[in-house]
Amino acid sequence: MKSYFQKISDYLFNSLGSNEILILNFDAEQTDFVRFNHAKIRQAGNVNQATLTLSLVYKRKSLNSIIRLSLDYEKDTVLLLRTLYYLRREIPELPQDPYLMYERNLNSFDIETNNQSLDSFIITNSILEGCHSLDMVGILSTGRIMKGFSNSLGQFNWHESQSFNFDWSMYTDTGKAIKQNYSDQIWNQNTFSSLLEECKQKLNVIDNQEQTIKPGEYRVYLSPSALNEIVDMLSWGGFSYKANKIGSSPLHFMMKGEKKFNKIVSFTEDLTNGISPKFHSDGFIKPDTTELIINGEYKSSLISPRSALEYSVNHNAAEYYESPVSINLKEGAIENNDILKTLKDGIYISNLWYLNFSDLNNGRVTGLTRFGCFKVSNGEYQGPINTMRFDETVYNIFGDKLIGLTNNKQLLIDSSTYEERSTHSSSIPGAIVEDFKMTL
Amino acid sequence: MKDDFINHIKPLLPNVEYCSFRFVSKYTNIISATRGVIEPVVISEDDGLMVTVYDNGGCGYGATSNLTKDGILKAVKTAKKWAKFSENKLTYMPDLSLLKKQSGSYFTDDEENWSKISTKDKADYLMSVNKSLKSQPTISNWGASIRYNKLETLFIDTNDSHVRQKISYLLPQMIVSAEYKKEIQTRTYGGHAHARQIGYDFIDSINMVEHAKLLAEEAVELSRAPNCFDKITDAVIAPDQMILQIHESIGHPLELDRILGDERNYAGSSFVTPDMFGSYKYGSDMLNVTFNPTLETELATYNFDDDGTNASKEYLIKDGVLMRPIGGLFSSQRTGLDYVACSRACNWNRPPIDRMGNINLEPGDYSFDDIIQSVDEGILLETNNSWSIDDKRNKFQFGCEKGTLIKNGKLSGIVKNPSYRGVTESFWNNLSKVGNRDTNRILGTSNCGKGEPNQTIFVGHSTPVCLFNDIDVFGGV
Repeated sequence: MKSYFQKISDYLFNSLGSNEILILNFDAEQTDFVRFNHAKIRQAGNVNQATLTLSLVYKRKSLNSIIRLSLDYEKDTVLLLRTLYYLRREIPELPQDPYLMYERNLNSFDIETNNQSLDSFIITNSILEGCHSLDMVGILSTGRIMKGFSNSLGQFNWHESQSFNFDWSMYTDTGKAIKQNYSDQIWNQNTFSSLLEECKQKLNVIDNQEQTIKPGEYRVYLSPSALNEIVDMLSWGGFSYKANKIGSSPLHFMMKGEKKFNKIVSFTEDLTNGISPKFHSDGFIKPDTTELIINGEYKSSLISPRSALEYSVNHNAAEYYESPVSINLKEGAIENNDILKTLKDGIYISNLWYLNFSDLNNGRVTGLTRFGCFKVSNGEYQGPINTMRFDETVYNIFGDKLIGLTNNKQLLIDSSTYEERSTHSSSIPGAIVEDFKMTL
Repeated sequence: MKDDFINHIKPLLPNVEYCSFRFVSKYTNIISATRGVIEPVVISEDDGLMVTVYDNGGCGYGATSNLTKDGILKAVKTAKKWAKFSENKLTYMPDLSLLKKQSGSYFTDDEENWSKISTKDKADYLMSVNKSLKSQPTISNWGASIRYNKLETLFIDTNDSHVRQKISYLLPQMIVSAEYKKEIQTRTYGGHAHARQIGYDFIDSINMVEHAKLLAEEAVELSRAPNCFDKITDAVIAPDQMILQIHESIGHPLELDRILGDERNYAGSSFVTPDMFGSYKYGSDMLNVTFNPTLETELATYNFDDDGTNASKEYLIKDGVLMRPIGGLFSSQRTGLDYVACSRACNWNRPPIDRMGNINLEPGDYSFDDIIQSVDEGILLETNNSWSIDDKRNKFQFGCEKGTLIKNGKLSGIVKNPSYRGVTESFWNNLSKVGNRDTNRILGTSNCGKGEPNQTIFVGHSTPVCLFNDIDVFGGV
């Protein structure tokens, strides 16, 4: 696929006129999707797709076109040349773009990880055999993801990896569930088997008598997955320079220095795990790490090249949406084995669901408990709880009400597949928070 | 889509129990002006084909953007391979004898006029909308955009079906935020819910330039308004909030694939169970909800779904009683319940699943003034800005951009950050007045997310203003 991208890049660059610059972004995947319900196959198949985004730059104007490729060279070159002519015809009509910025230095590299092939049929059989007596529902995505960048100035970047992501839930007859995820580059049957075993043990516990929780304030443990949902909400503008300037950030008071988190809270955008490409869609190379919040204080935002020009600041090669793609929350001191003891009396929350802002200005978030949430008394599991709605500010969760973070982080690889398989991830510990408001 | 393409692909249908080819051609054009600058214009072209094979107790699909003969044959081979692998491993195998030959077409009546207006003219118009939005000094953010989508589909199968549809829609959007004492309040044009199958004349008819001034004034007024109160009260809900209420607490819980558990790992299930259809009292007698793919200009109006099922208007809830689920022909076989033509896919690269189409709350008898005058104390809630509901679609909480107090039958002053929460199972029984056709609005959202692999699709909701009693309303921090 890399050579195909190089070939069509060369073809298009050779078709350019003087004073024209062309920027290309390539996104492709070859994915087997197997959807399960009741531990059987619900839908299964393969998606083979490739997309090329062309950005023509001419006299400080730019125009973009996103073209789905057939990967048939003769067909694609006709389509792409037609597109280039169209962009060339339309671009004079447009005004100059005052925020247009693209990389002029050349920073070519390619990263290709793991060429071992994954066999979706073998993995699927393994899943079906392992779960045959259980009520399992979920999705397996397996295959290769490819991202490329090139421009007519001579830069070329490539990022390719093969991986699988099995995201699933197990249900009891009474409708209680445990959610798990297994994602990696190589399928390890032993790892999967131990995850299944852990799941079965949790199912036994969760099938106990339901403990009815009423609205009120509770001491809670938020697992890495649950806390990640809240971190996701912070990412809706919280780390965006632009969103903070225009006031659509839930952390705009914090950025202005009027609010702080607990000193143990440090967030960093960290691309060193190699899951997301390090090149920006306009060719800039992203730093390995960007400190966002350090020791409870807002340190810096993600700043895109467009924001840099709009607000006269330096950018840090953030994409235009200015949200983290690989956020890292620094671990704390609570030992994993001490979670229940530290929680003592409260609720163990494995997952949260359907979060949204209930007061954006003040960083207040609402959402619900889901999958494997337990009442804990005197450091012991008491039984599963009913679904509860919470409504709490991020300044409480990460601020004065934060008792501590666990000393183990979990790498959470995003299983999202809207339009294409996600390359986002996060690395998050668990947290114990007091006075967490349950409202319904 | 020309006949020669159909002639080209038809012979490639394999000799299996059943196979369909669903070709999709998708065109998107988005023009935006934000804070007085035209953003990079987006033009997207996306053609591809999904091959679905049912054979010998198995089912598989192959999706490809390679529309050459070799590319399609490769997708057929992949679909057959997955069908072979899944033999006797499927959650269910549909009765293929129920699939009949379907022929027909549907085309949005938009006179193809999007392309007649130049990009420059559209950009200039949006710049003038931007000027109206930035009409007050405390405006901190503003922007306007128009999105145009055209989706052509061709469906053929081994039953000799032949369905062609072309749906195109417009989504105009505006946003404006005002700052006062470091607090930001935002007004949008309808919560981004004004998507319609309609021509460019619609943009002229809604007069975005004038509307922008009103939105800006409201944003400024809201930024200086008091927080909403916390109390149980009467709530009059405007169509641009009703759309979310219907979507989340009627549309989603009635989706049959949720009820059957397919979505339990992601989008969730439902408090509704198959035995509730035909008897369960979902809401008050005034609640009438239809699956209506026939309403002109509504977003999900079509003649066939993506499995080739013929579409018609059906009651989901009649006089408050639950009648039928939102389940396609295949899903309905798993329960024996009635079906609607709702098996839809967002694109060629995703398989069809049970989806809302147009889910409409049918108008009642009351004028807007009748409804307001009937309220001694309450609040008018407008324009959704926050939505959250549990995985069984029961405990919900919605936020709105604007609240207007109602006292002694009159509107009296606005409040910021109004939200309300409730439980679906009891909420719709508190419906006490349904607005008449004059209060009805045809709305639609283009980004309903669901499914594994994930899909976002466009759905329509037509709804009047409604009055609910005893609603738990509250404000911000």
